[in-house]
Amino acid sequence: MDAILNALYCLMALGTSMFLWRRPVSIFKEMGILALSLVVFGLFSYLTMDLAEPTLEYMPFRMLALCICFSTTSLTSHKTRYLVLSQVLWLWVEFFGGLTFVYHGLDMPWTRIVAIGAGAFGGAFLSHISREMEFLLMVYWIAVWMFF
Amino acid sequence: MDRREFIKACSVVALMQVLWGCRRLPDLSGGKVPEIAEFEKEVRLALSRAKGAFDLVQVPMPGPLDVHGASPVNRFGMAIDLDACDGCGKCILACMQENNIPLSSKGERDAGRFMHWIEMHGGTPAMCFHCGNAPCEKVCPTGAASHTPDGLSTMMYKRCTGSRFCGANCPVGARKFNYVDSVKEGLARKFNPEVPLRSKGVMEKCSLCLQRLQDHKHAQMATRPGVEWRGSGLKTACSEACPKNAIIFGNWLDQESPLVQEAKHRNLYVPREIANLDPSVVYMRGRR
Amino acid sequence: MYRILVYIGAALLLLGAFAFGVSLWEGPTAWHTDVRTFWGIPISLFVLWIGLAHAGTLISAIFLALGYPLGRRTSMVAELSTLCSLAVAALFPLVHLGIIEKFYMVVPFLDARGNFSNLRSPLVWDFCCISVYGLVSLLFFATHLFSEKFPDLKKLIRPMAWLLFPLVLWVHTIVSLDFAVTFVPQWRGAFFPLYFIAGAIYSGLALVIILLTAEHCRVRVLEKLMLGLSWFMAFFWLWEFLLKGSFSFEVVFLGAVVPQLMWLRVIRENAFGRLLVAFSVLVSLGLERYILVTPSEYNAAEYFSCTDLGLVSFSLGLFTTLFFVFRAKFSSLLEGEDVVMGEIVLQQDESDKESEKISIPEKNDFSILRLPLLLGVLVTLLYVVWAVSVENANLAPLSVVNVAPLCLPLLVLVASFTLCARPLWGISGKRVKLVCAVLAGILGCLAGAFWAGGSSDVSSGVVSVQEVDSPKTVEFIWSSRCASCHGQDGKFNEKFVREFYPLPQKLTPVRLDTLGEDSLVKVILDGRVNMNPYRGRVSEEEARGLVRYMRHLAGEGE
Ligand code: SF4
Ligand code: SF4
Repeated sequence: MDAILNALYCLMALGTSMFLWRRPVSIFKEMGILALSLVVFGLFSYLTMDLAEPTLEYMPFRMLALCICFSTTSLTSHKTRYLVLSQVLWLWVEFFGGLTFVYHGLDMPWTRIVAIGAGAFGGAFLSHISREMEFLLMVYWIAVWMFF
Repeated sequence: MDRREFIKACSVVALMQVLWGCRRLPDLSGGKVPEIAEFEKEVRLALSRAKGAFDLVQVPMPGPLDVHGASPVNRFGMAIDLDACDGCGKCILACMQENNIPLSSKGERDAGRFMHWIEMHGGTPAMCFHCGNAPCEKVCPTGAASHTPDGLSTMMYKRCTGSRFCGANCPVGARKFNYVDSVKEGLARKFNPEVPLRSKGVMEKCSLCLQRLQDHKHAQMATRPGVEWRGSGLKTACSEACPKNAIIFGNWLDQESPLVQEAKHRNLYVPREIANLDPSVVYMRGRR
Repeated sequence: MYRILVYIGAALLLLGAFAFGVSLWEGPTAWHTDVRTFWGIPISLFVLWIGLAHAGTLISAIFLALGYPLGRRTSMVAELSTLCSLAVAALFPLVHLGIIEKFYMVVPFLDARGNFSNLRSPLVWDFCCISVYGLVSLLFFATHLFSEKFPDLKKLIRPMAWLLFPLVLWVHTIVSLDFAVTFVPQWRGAFFPLYFIAGAIYSGLALVIILLTAEHCRVRVLEKLMLGLSWFMAFFWLWEFLLKGSFSFEVVFLGAVVPQLMWLRVIRENAFGRLLVAFSVLVSLGLERYILVTPSEYNAAEYFSCTDLGLVSFSLGLFTTLFFVFRAKFSSLLEGEDVVMGEIVLQQDESDKESEKISIPEKNDFSILRLPLLLGVLVTLLYVVWAVSVENANLAPLSVVNVAPLCLPLLVLVASFTLCARPLWGISGKRVKLVCAVLAGILGCLAGAFWAGGSSDVSSGVVSVQEVDSPKTVEFIWSSRCASCHGQDGKFNEKFVREFYPLPQKLTPVRLDTLGEDSLVKVILDGRVNMNPYRGRVSEEEARGLVRYMRHLAGEGE
């Protein structure tokens, strides 16, 4: 898959994450935004990706996970907890998606999984998350998305 | 103990006491053994109900097997010559007789199921392709489906719990499930004493005539000790029965084997679904 | 009220019991299957009920873990429904099996013949995950149930909830892998874990809403969640359609369109309206599972036989009966003092700081979780190392990916039992203690039997090895050890041996000579194919004597 498209997916995730957890927070609003962005991700990846490419299957969900990761940086309370949880969600999507691919003869994206795992594990030890830290984390996720 | 007897033992004990004397359990064994003509008739029926043709894709000649502990000198397989085969169905009957395959009950036939290990797919016979990287074996929970070092995908009937996961995961539907107790229903006939009759609730499929291979190996070890066994001169039941000599059995890793000799000059094909799974049984068409 | 529901449940159960009996008796022919689908209704019901079993723990544990506890009654009802649906769900894979009594073969442990189940199969993961899930939910329910009477237990609840939280999601992920790893075109999908989890939570919420309606209370936040999830389900169905072209009007209508009725005040504020929506969701999801499990070219739902319907009714009946019987039994414990807590309205700004303060204090004592977690990690590591290194002649070596799905359940099992064992032991009465002790003893014996069976040389201490001094001794060993299969006269004991496939070769003198004495001695000591290893039970000398004796017998037979 070419890098430009990949960057575009990443940007989309970043873009939609901006809408999440805006005050006042309500179940409906957040779920609605998430579902809508899922639809956007789905349609976009369906239209831009090669249909024979198996990774298309979980592309929108990877994007959603990334989007949730991004959005946690704008939370006001329990940031660490949700930071870890959202990375675990991403890990979950990648790991089990990869596992089904292993059974279809593809390789597991180990570097990516280890990188996300490391992010989640490391995140658990952050007691205070400063602006700079948030920025670094986002850069880290973008790097993981783009290069692994 | 089969499923019925187990349940009988568990739940009917109490009922039996109540009904003692006024109820005679039906004798299901019957002792009936079907005539050979019935097998022929069923083959004709199956031929008339052939399944859809495969979408074939070309593949290179199978090489050494890529599984744990594979033999470097033997990998058995077959090639089916589509130019020669006219779909007469003699292989199906031969396979039934070699492997004691039971008849299908009426209900099974209505559901479109036959126990035949060879089936016609749009005029071409298809059995298990003995995939080198067999998906059916991966999902078997008990390890009843496993690979031999010389390339056969085999079944250990005694270890099968009948979860039918392998059947669901075979891309070409080569696996057959014993839905009924064929012995008690009088559908099975033991043509070949060397092959056991399968009990109700287990999976089965083409074994590449495992018993013939084994006999052949031991016979050679006894008569010509010290000579490496490559299975030369052996034929499976279906390849023996084919009047057109369209099914060729042999050892893919033995340059002398008739299989390699023939396949060298031909284009090889397999169904698209299993093209990436390294099958040992292939189709041949056209000359190169 | 509950009595009527129990009667309804029992009636459904009786209706379905016949179908259930037939399915047990007939095996997989009893329900509808066809050339392409081997599975049919039991697996669909299994997936449905295991999904319903998730809501309970989800609602109670996840909300609790994240610090938004629901009312006691709501969570208890949800947890009880988890346990009951799990019991229902666990029945169906058993019914599904071709040979029920061999189900234990999927346990990932060495058995007496050195056989190890195939850890690469999702079915093995499934079995383990679901058993662990059942046990841990039971523990959680018990802790929660008695925490009213014994405040000591209160501090266990949140740590337990944190343990259950990932497990719930894990279990349904594994169930989805049953489908996702196969080569069936309709089941392909790396997104199946999320798809199944969303479906499970969705249907589970519907079930809890129904059960709460029977309690005459409602929890708005659950209704909101259900409505929100319906949008996600709609996307999943869209995605299925885009990828594979599979689409079912009924499923989408009942599952995604009807729930939108909740926008209307008349429907939302009316118990019957809510029931209607919740039932429509359940039907939709049930249908969806059935369509998924039977991927045929034609519409398999048209071929629903009586047995299929009977099994559906059986599952419904069993659940209703179980649930309401226990509901009535635990009535006093379930409701506690805060009966009104059933009615909870989550504030709009619930995820903000203010509401945190009224929930359980954040710094709950999680330090009690440390030791159990450590133990769990250790046991899991040990198991992984052991499983990966087990030598199995039949199966390819395992990789970490194959064992990974078992890690979390094992960890949670060990951790939660170490966590709860002491406090629960402290509060339980004499009778319970006795039963537990007996159960533990039985379990220990079973594990021991498993373990001992793994190797054949444990008997070396029991059986004294004698020197072979005379043909008489060899003959004695032959008749005690070998004759059961090989026959007193060296010809095979037909009755026993014909079960093996391929049939063992006749031991003719020619064959014995070609195989050679040394290799035969090795076979006797280490076993081969169908032959069990006898190392430790016969000495090498004896084995040599036995080979000669075998040669002698074979020569006589000529
Ligand atoms: S053709 Fe089917 S049954 Fe045969 S090895 Fe391949 S997957 Fe298994
Ligand atoms: S190789 Fe043997 S078992 Fe397989 S189809 Fe041919 S005759 Fe039947």
